[in-house]
Amino acid sequence: MTACDYLLPEGLTLAAAGKAVAELLEVRDGHSCVGERSYYDTFDGRLHEAGLVALWEDGRLMLLKLGSDRAVARAEMPKPTRPLFTGELPDGSLRAALGPVLGERALLSLVEIRNRERLFDVLDSERKTVVRLRLQQPALGRRRLRPRVHVTAVRGYDKALRLVDDALTAEIGLKPTDEPLIDEAVAAAGARPGGTPSRIEVPLRPGQRADAAAAAVLKALLGVTEANMDGALADLDSEFLHDLRVSVRRTRAVQRELRYVFEPAALAKFRAEFRWLQQITGDARDLDVYLLEFEQMRALVPGPIRSDLGPLHAVLMSRRTAARRRMCRALRSPKTVALLSDWSSFLDRLQSDEGARGAAAGRPIDEVAGERIAKVYARMVRMGDAIGPGSPSTEYHELRKQGKELRYLLELFGLPLFSGAVVKPMIKSLKALQDVLGRHQDREVQAATLGSLGGAVAGDSDGSAALMAMGVLVERLEEDQLAAREQFAARFATFANKRQRKLVRETFS
Amino acid sequence: MTRVLATYNIKGGVGKTSAAVNLAYLASRDGARTLLWDLDPQGASTFLFRVRPKVKGGGRKLVRLKSDPAKLIKGTDHEGLDLLPADFSYRHMDLALERFKRPTRRLTRVLDPLRGDYDYVFLDCPPSISLVSESVFEAADALLVPIIPATLSSRTLVQLETVVNGCPAVLAFFSMVDGRKRLHREVMERLRAENPSVLAAAIPASAEVERMGVERTVLADFAPRGRAAAAYEALWGDVRERLGEYASRAQ
Repeated sequence: MTACDYLLPEGLTLAAAGKAVAELLEVRDGHSCVGERSYYDTFDGRLHEAGLVALWEDGRLMLLKLGSDRAVARAEMPKPTRPLFTGELPDGSLRAALGPVLGERALLSLVEIRNRERLFDVLDSERKTVVRLRLQQPALGRRRLRPRVHVTAVRGYDKALRLVDDALTAEIGLKPTDEPLIDEAVAAAGARPGGTPSRIEVPLRPGQRADAAAAAVLKALLGVTEANMDGALADLDSEFLHDLRVSVRRTRAVQRELRYVFEPAALAKFRAEFRWLQQITGDARDLDVYLLEFEQMRALVPGPIRSDLGPLHAVLMSRRTAARRRMCRALRSPKTVALLSDWSSFLDRLQSDEGARGAAAGRPIDEVAGERIAKVYARMVRMGDAIGPGSPSTEYHELRKQGKELRYLLELFGLPLFSGAVVKPMIKSLKALQDVLGRHQDREVQAATLGSLGGAVAGDSDGSAALMAMGVLVERLEEDQLAAREQFAARFATFANKRQRKLVRETFS
Repeated sequence: MTRVLATYNIKGGVGKTSAAVNLAYLASRDGARTLLWDLDPQGASTFLFRVRPKVKGGGRKLVRLKSDPAKLIKGTDHEGLDLLPADFSYRHMDLALERFKRPTRRLTRVLDPLRGDYDYVFLDCPPSISLVSESVFEAADALLVPIIPATLSSRTLVQLETVVNGCPAVLAFFSMVDGRKRLHREVMERLRAENPSVLAAAIPASAEVERMGVERTVLADFAPRGRAAAAYEALWGDVRERLGEYASRAQ
């Protein structure tokens, strides 16, 4: 243990706790202070998941271990007041430590805490500090949070730490708590400690009715869609839109694969509307991906002509602005609001035994989902077997679409209902196959898009140089697409080998 | 990347420990994770940090890599600054090192597992020229050499530069300077003109530095606005600047 928080028992004030500490332990009663602390994390809580939190205080942004005051890395910088990306951090240890955790996500403000503290150093016989105590009265705006005693170990003085722990708990009656101050503050602010994950884990049980299981999964997916809506509209970072689209795609996959669970007329209406939702967000996401990968694409062309791609970047940016404008208009429209509200009510009815439903609604979910997994897998095996080096790109693309369908079935229903020893390796080999198919398709689309942007780029004063560079880039993309084709056979062989097919039959059929 | 800085001089009583302790404190104050290894069996740095001068298994076990140095480290009163304490057995470290095929690599190997944990490691060296100092030369990125502005001291600096031959870098600074003495002023002026390894900052001969032994802490704790504290601040600035220059040259 390097740090621990203790809560005060009912009826004990912070002042009384301080007096008791000073009587029981040899302490240096240090200064009292009031600190303003601003905490940051990504929307999906990547830092929290890694046991970290970002804190800005006194002109420095620091990366701390969760629940401790010790900075892993820090940088002097003004207080972030808008989403902060890795590339905007000053060069140095903080950027190096945060970059791999943040990825493409932005740091967003979580809460601001005002902390009134009194510091004590516990001393040994040489009057050396062996443990540090902070008596804290935190507040969130005007709301006071629970007072705490924060204890920090000094390296190499474990015995002293045990004595302090004993004094605080046995003598003063404090209770150790696992809940870090930041989690209490986030919850008090009405948010979810640890962020809002895009991955859902809905507990299902074999034998559960298919309609109830489907409704539970779809309700959780709707939660992800709604949670990401504001961030996607405000363009806080590209992952809001991405996670929103993934949740919509997963919703559509469940609608398709479990179609006999739902009442047909209602399902047809919702399928059409979710297809629309997917379409209206497509252009903006495609352009996001283009811009996120732009430096990687730029690196594909020879060094001397890389800067010639500047006009292409400008065109992509301007198209993205226009695509986002269209998307935001559609997402804010009454149609989207009504769709999400109606879908929620529909799922509520499905969960509460009200309203019409499909023929398979009462069947056990493991039977229904198992059949679908076996069926989609068999279809993929058939389709993949028919693909050769000269097959048209559409065949690779169709196989990829089936792969997405299978992956969602496995993640949403396979993992909670069937043996992890079967499902997890299956997802792994499927992901490896999808990586190759995705690269193949992305390169195809990127090359085609470059072709379609030629006219717009040509209008720039440096347009001709940019067109030449784009020509080279298209060649490189086509080469990479060919390389993906060459890797396909080996990845597919792993995914569809005889042992795997037998395992799928035995587990899901 | 961890930087290893050793305060070294063949002579004793020239301000090595005061420099090691105050510079290590300044590094940690700036946010760097800092370790000070008190290699001197007299344990002056260890005394100043109020830590017991005792290392389980002694120096011999440490250089034989039979002790885990991470378990021997003590936190100081200053957050971010840790100490690997002195031990009286370090007086036999030369003998312990002699047994190895490549004795001068041993200190580097002791430090290797700690590199990820610290931005700076300061080595406070005993005054000698021995196998221990040769090991320090191998482990350190730079030697911080306090010199009293007297003719013989400047000769020592030249000898040291000849021995290390550029690796590690030598960063000399004037220590225990008495500005009222003409000899001090003359030697400083001459040496700075002759030798580019001499830094601009100079540590004055000061009662504040002597009081460190009574207060048992760094200058910033009891005389933060004094001349000596300001001099160490300037010295740390010079050292960082030089290290930055070396790093950009290396790139």
